Amino acid sequence: MSTSSRWWCGALVAIALAANPVSALAQWLDYKAPGVPRTASGAPDLGAPTPRTPDGKPDFSGMWFANVPAKDYCKEAGCIQEERMAREQINLGIKLEGGLPYTDWSREQMVARRANGGREDPHTYCKPPNFPRAWTLPQYIKIVQTPSLMVLLHEFNAAYREVFLDGRPLPEDPNPTWNGYSTAHWDGDTLVIETNGIRDDMWLDIQGSPVTESARVTERLTRVNYGLMSIEIAVDDPKAYTRPWSVTIEMAAQVDTTMLEEICLDDEQDVELFR
Amino acid sequence: MNRRGVRGLLLVGLSLAVGTVARAHHSQSEFDLDAKVEVQGTVTKLEWKSPHGRLYVDVKNDKGETVSWNFELPSPNTLMRRGWKRDSLKAGDAVIVTGAPARNFPTIAIATAIKDGNGNALFTGTTPVLEPAPIQGEP
Repeated sequence: MSTSSRWWCGALVAIALAANPVSALAQWLDYKAPGVPRTASGAPDLGAPTPRTPDGKPDFSGMWFANVPAKDYCKEAGCIQEERMAREQINLGIKLEGGLPYTDWSREQMVARRANGGREDPHTYCKPPNFPRAWTLPQYIKIVQTPSLMVLLHEFNAAYREVFLDGRPLPEDPNPTWNGYSTAHWDGDTLVIETNGIRDDMWLDIQGSPVTESARVTERLTRVNYGLMSIEIAVDDPKAYTRPWSVTIEMAAQVDTTMLEEICLDDEQDVELFR
Repeated sequence: MNRRGVRGLLLVGLSLAVGTVARAHHSQSEFDLDAKVEVQGTVTKLEWKSPHGRLYVDVKNDKGETVSWNFELPSPNTLMRRGWKRDSLKAGDAVIVTGAPARNFPTIAIATAIKDGNGNALFTGTTPVLEPAPIQGEP
């Protein structure tokens, strides 16, 4: 996008927001939270150093959204924007040369699901925002970190996920669930989350990349600075993929805002449109 | 909504729109995104529910009959982050709504732009999400 287009985009956003003022009393959408590093102007200093817990570990606590620069979505002067959406939401392997290494079975599944317009997507039916797909969905995630437990809250269906840092082993014969069973340990400043026990019927992305109960998922979280988190997602699932693979996504810290629930079953109407 | 502000926008020849929306919940293949519908009518209800807000608009068809259109919007949490409130549009408001139609339902569409009865654009498609600073050493 050209510099002038960017200028117009910024100007339009500013004008439009001025025309649509958000009340200071509307939830806490613009509440300046304490503890956020700020510049002299009072704006969040997103380039500030990684915050740390009292024991010196990186602190991932806070709200996060897929790092999707707005400029990627301004296609014309006037900046008529689409929903911000991580490209990995459609295809988790979009940055991998050759894409995900599907087995014949899983490629067949993905191709059929894709050809079917996603009408079988569990997400359409308001199923839980399963990780690792949940990182790429366009709702906010809140991380609450303690020395022995990390809790991830997701706006979609007001869902939660627990990650234990208390030294417990992964279960040996887990009952499969939407988020599976997660433990974590530190590798320097990177938090390494190991997960097993996820369900066979989950999708990794909109196009329907499968994942099975045999999967072992490893997420390596690194808080690069105050405003940015990098997550390497590694999947070892011999039933669905010919070899282990990994992709790296980025999450952007969101401050001075609040979680807003999105309960999908409240008024789901799109399933009917697929008939 | 500050109507005077919106008129000011039109004076400089700009047009704001909601933008293609609603990918939060599904693939959108139930809509024909290459097609376009535009209707002019009267708001009967702004439904403030998840996973999608909905704008119901009564429209007179060629025969003079009133037809109720159902326009899909983003979820309320997304709308609120774009500056909407649950009463941003009220029953009786005159609107012109543009959208992509559902493939198999003649009066359902996903909204892409909403204007008032005079053609003045309302709202934007922008979610003001914070973007992190570049990592040191990167362009």
